[in-house]
Amino acid sequence: MTPTPSTSKASLTTYLQVAPLTLVLILFFAIPVALVVVVSFFRYQMLVGIVPDFTLKNYIDLFSNPTTWTLYLSTLKFTLIVLVITFVLGFWIAYFLVFHVRNLITAIGLFLVCTVPFWTSNIIRMISWRPVLGTEGLINSALLKLGVIDQPLQWLLYSDFSVVVAYVHLFTLFMIVPIFNSMARIDKSLLEAAVDAGATRWGVVWNVVLPLCKTGIALGALFVVTLVMGDFFVVTVMSGGLSGSATSGIFNDLQFLNYPRAAANAVILLIVVLLIASAIFRLVDVRKELVR
Amino acid sequence: MANSPPKSGAAQGSGEIRLVNVTKQFGNSYAVKDINLTIPHGSYCCLLGPSGCGKTTILRMIAGHETPTSGEIYIGNDMVVGKPPVERGTAMMFQSYALFPHLTIQDNVAFYLKMRGVGKEERRRRALEMLQRVQLDHLKDRMPAQLSGGQQQRVALARSLITNPKVLLLDEPLSALDEFLRLRMRGELKSLQNELGITFVHVTHTQPEAIALADMVVVMDTGRIDQADTANVIFDRPATPYVARFMGGQNVLTGTVTGGGGPGTIRLKAADGSHFETMANGEKPKSELSVAVRRDRIALRRRNGDIASNAVNALWGVVSATEYQGSYVKVTLDVGGQVFVANVSDRDYFAEPVERGDPVVASWKTEDVHILGKVDTGAAGDPYLDAGH
Repeated sequence: MTPTPSTSKASLTTYLQVAPLTLVLILFFAIPVALVVVVSFFRYQMLVGIVPDFTLKNYIDLFSNPTTWTLYLSTLKFTLIVLVITFVLGFWIAYFLVFHVRNLITAIGLFLVCTVPFWTSNIIRMISWRPVLGTEGLINSALLKLGVIDQPLQWLLYSDFSVVVAYVHLFTLFMIVPIFNSMARIDKSLLEAAVDAGATRWGVVWNVVLPLCKTGIALGALFVVTLVMGDFFVVTVMSGGLSGSATSGIFNDLQFLNYPRAAANAVILLIVVLLIASAIFRLVDVRKELVR
Repeated sequence: MANSPPKSGAAQGSGEIRLVNVTKQFGNSYAVKDINLTIPHGSYCCLLGPSGCGKTTILRMIAGHETPTSGEIYIGNDMVVGKPPVERGTAMMFQSYALFPHLTIQDNVAFYLKMRGVGKEERRRRALEMLQRVQLDHLKDRMPAQLSGGQQQRVALARSLITNPKVLLLDEPLSALDEFLRLRMRGELKSLQNELGITFVHVTHTQPEAIALADMVVVMDTGRIDQADTANVIFDRPATPYVARFMGGQNVLTGTVTGGGGPGTIRLKAADGSHFETMANGEKPKSELSVAVRRDRIALRRRNGDIASNAVNALWGVVSATEYQGSYVKVTLDVGGQVFVANVSDRDYFAEPVERGDPVVASWKTEDVHILGKVDTGAAGDPYLDAGH
């Protein structure tokens, strides 16, 4: 019963327990990312393809190209708009479900209703906006019939507006779920204690509910940011090809088999997303809250 | 520091609480039904009862966290139903303390002032003063999770008192504490109430807590009030068999009135054939009557031979358990299948000790018999029938 062998045996067990996940992460995450980083410094030669090298040309190309900046700015703009809208929607929907629906079964039922959009595929969800937003669509024809407008509104479809609508439609649930989760853990007597201390309904939300949901909001924001920043499909389809995103730059490069520049762009995008994520984590100590 | 600002006017006015025909329904079930209760200004009132009896619902209705289905609640002269807690002049201390986990204890205490728009410096200073009162000012920057249960409770108390209430409502305030702290906090609550002179309403399911603290004990049973009186009356002269059993310290006996006994007394005959006497109070012959005798008024002696069949105020039984309590010994008897308890003073017990299995005779005096307002219906729906308090 000397401590040394038993500890080494215990640590061996620990390593064995961690091994499968580590292997999966190395194989499917670390190695691909490392490859992308390596390839981003390779040279691209027309007709030949990838040539191993160490060059900063891909990065210089990207940074000196105004399209890159436009695409990133447009992506950030969408991210910010969608973040604000999904947060407002997600917070109040979760608030309603947690604090206003007294019956648990009703709450679960309504929660399931929130997931209805996910019962169909991404593409169908987006395409289904066309008959609603299109020139001959539901909204336009209704407004025309009512005499509110005499020309169909063109900005409803194939515009920034329709992109935002699709994003909000697709991603609000990712905001609702984590906020719902952290709200559900709030002791209801805290709300009563706040009311007891003279807080108005709004005061309770601002001083008690909101600070205690910070984790959920941060996690939801993380989901939305990564989803919007990583998207090129929604923005392409819903804008009718008029808008692009940082990822559509990558997509274009891939179509020309310019893997090194696509890789460089991917690295830049990764860094931008990581910066945003670390900013979010700096605001809220998510890890501390998750182990709570 | 010399010029502390004038306290808000909330403490002025009477903290008398009046409930008039108050009913609260959840769905189809009644949490409380047609309650009438007046709690005098400046008294320490304990709402006592088993869980689910509606005591917390009453407290929450007084606090304004629950709206009565019907009836009126007055604090002082104001009808308060529909008003927010702050306008009622009540403050509530929650069972789980409900401290805001994201705020330091100083900010927890200052929360009320913040809601009233008091400036940061001012509210921090006043919160610190309040923390000094509960001797926690040295921990002002801690988060609630870093405090012990007793310390958290003091913070909750400070947070309630900073609103300067006329009525302090306490929901099972001592239940989360260990025995030692519980006794200490009990004393502190009582002296705090004396010092502040405001009305305390304290919900508890623990009889000793209620007796030790309260000027007025309200014993509740499934949505109604069985008895509301001073602790002494509740303990010594319970109104119903339920109260007698719930408070403990009593034996409940039931018999049929057979006629007069000695001068000014009537005689009862129990189902098992034993006879009791009690002071006459206009009871009709042949009617059923339940009486209570305090456990510490019972004399025990070993049985030698049979007792006379016409013996009065005496039962014979077999000792089923003895429990040493320090100043007295609790002797539980099996009397024809019924439980009967005698609390014998340690001097008397050790003069003539009895053990499990010994046959004994329990007897008492007629003047120690107290008539109950209701006939005992026995065990049906009474979880406290055999409770050994």
